[in-house]
Amino acid sequence: MERVKTGVPGLDEMLHGGFLRQTANLVEGATGTGKTTFGMQFIYNGIVLYNEPGLVLTFEEFPQQYYRDAENFGWDFRRLEAQGKLKVIMTSPEVTKHDLESVGGMIETMVTEMGARRLLVDSLSHFERLATDPVELREIQYKFINALKREGLTSVLTRESPTLFGQQEESEAGVTFVADSYVLLRYVEMESAVHKALLVLKLRGSDHAKDIRQFAITPTGIEVQARFEGREGIMSGTPRMADYFARAFIDR
Amino acid sequence: MNSDDFTAKLMSDMDARLLDFVKTKVNSFIKWDLVRFFHENPNTADSVENIAKYAGRNPVAVKPELEELVETGVMVRQNIGGIPVYRLADSAEMHQLIEDFISACEDRHFRVKAVYHIIRGMR
Repeated sequence: MERVKTGVPGLDEMLHGGFLRQTANLVEGATGTGKTTFGMQFIYNGIVLYNEPGLVLTFEEFPQQYYRDAENFGWDFRRLEAQGKLKVIMTSPEVTKHDLESVGGMIETMVTEMGARRLLVDSLSHFERLATDPVELREIQYKFINALKREGLTSVLTRESPTLFGQQEESEAGVTFVADSYVLLRYVEMESAVHKALLVLKLRGSDHAKDIRQFAITPTGIEVQARFEGREGIMSGTPRMADYFARAFIDR
Repeated sequence: MNSDDFTAKLMSDMDARLLDFVKTKVNSFIKWDLVRFFHENPNTADSVENIAKYAGRNPVAVKPELEELVETGVMVRQNIGGIPVYRLADSAEMHQLIEDFISACEDRHFRVKAVYHIIRGMR
């Protein structure tokens, strides 16, 4: 199976080599957890490390913001655009939906002209304004994801999670079924400090690491670090010390 | 030479290409805003409503301005699924002209001259 490396330190090992080629990969997290940074890193590494041109499809943030944010990590998106290896496209879900349905649409043309292999969609949450009926929404998202695969793209789709900490609300689950992989980014409160956790919940067609890892947004991008040792209930947002850990190190 | 002629001559003292651009293409403040927005976000392609939202303007005011930018070759309109979608024209020459205009706007004297021509054109 051909793998598409994210180039994010620590993550490809969790994914047993990377995402699978021509798949749609959902990255979900609350605001500020690093979804967009992750997506930009996936695109940047694709171009610079693996010679795979990429597209960024944004529905809210101005491309200008991406250029600026990327620059903070040392990723020169403007230069990559000038070299024809990247395009940061701002449009709306309505236009994107119709565009991908048509033959020879704007995105299809760009993919062909650039030889794009990777795509960041930021964010899929905006599709929710296209339909209030969950069944209809799921169908729209399913068609959208299939169109991306048809274009030969390996995509990262971000989705906003409404809760900052604690148990996640039962949100629109359709897309998690449709996506080929599901990476969850969460805030975790420990000892009066906020940490960040990453978990690969699903990777269709492949095994993957099941443990919950810490991650940090460093000056060069996201780095997945060690697993949370001696803690339980990480995904609740407020983990407690694991009994075995307390017995071994505290209660002695 | 009367004072009006003198002012007009003084205000027209700029690169001929840019003078023509200001007089015939970016001849309103909304167009100026739109051109600057598309220069900063060059791969934007969207409906009138969304472009107006990005520019913080009323769609009713933005639509005719976008149409005029299409007529003058600054932008193109494409019909996608029944939605008129506007984006910058592909012409490298036009991109260069916009780039030169935006760079020139960093100079206060140029901005004053451009504003003069826009206001004159609005009379």
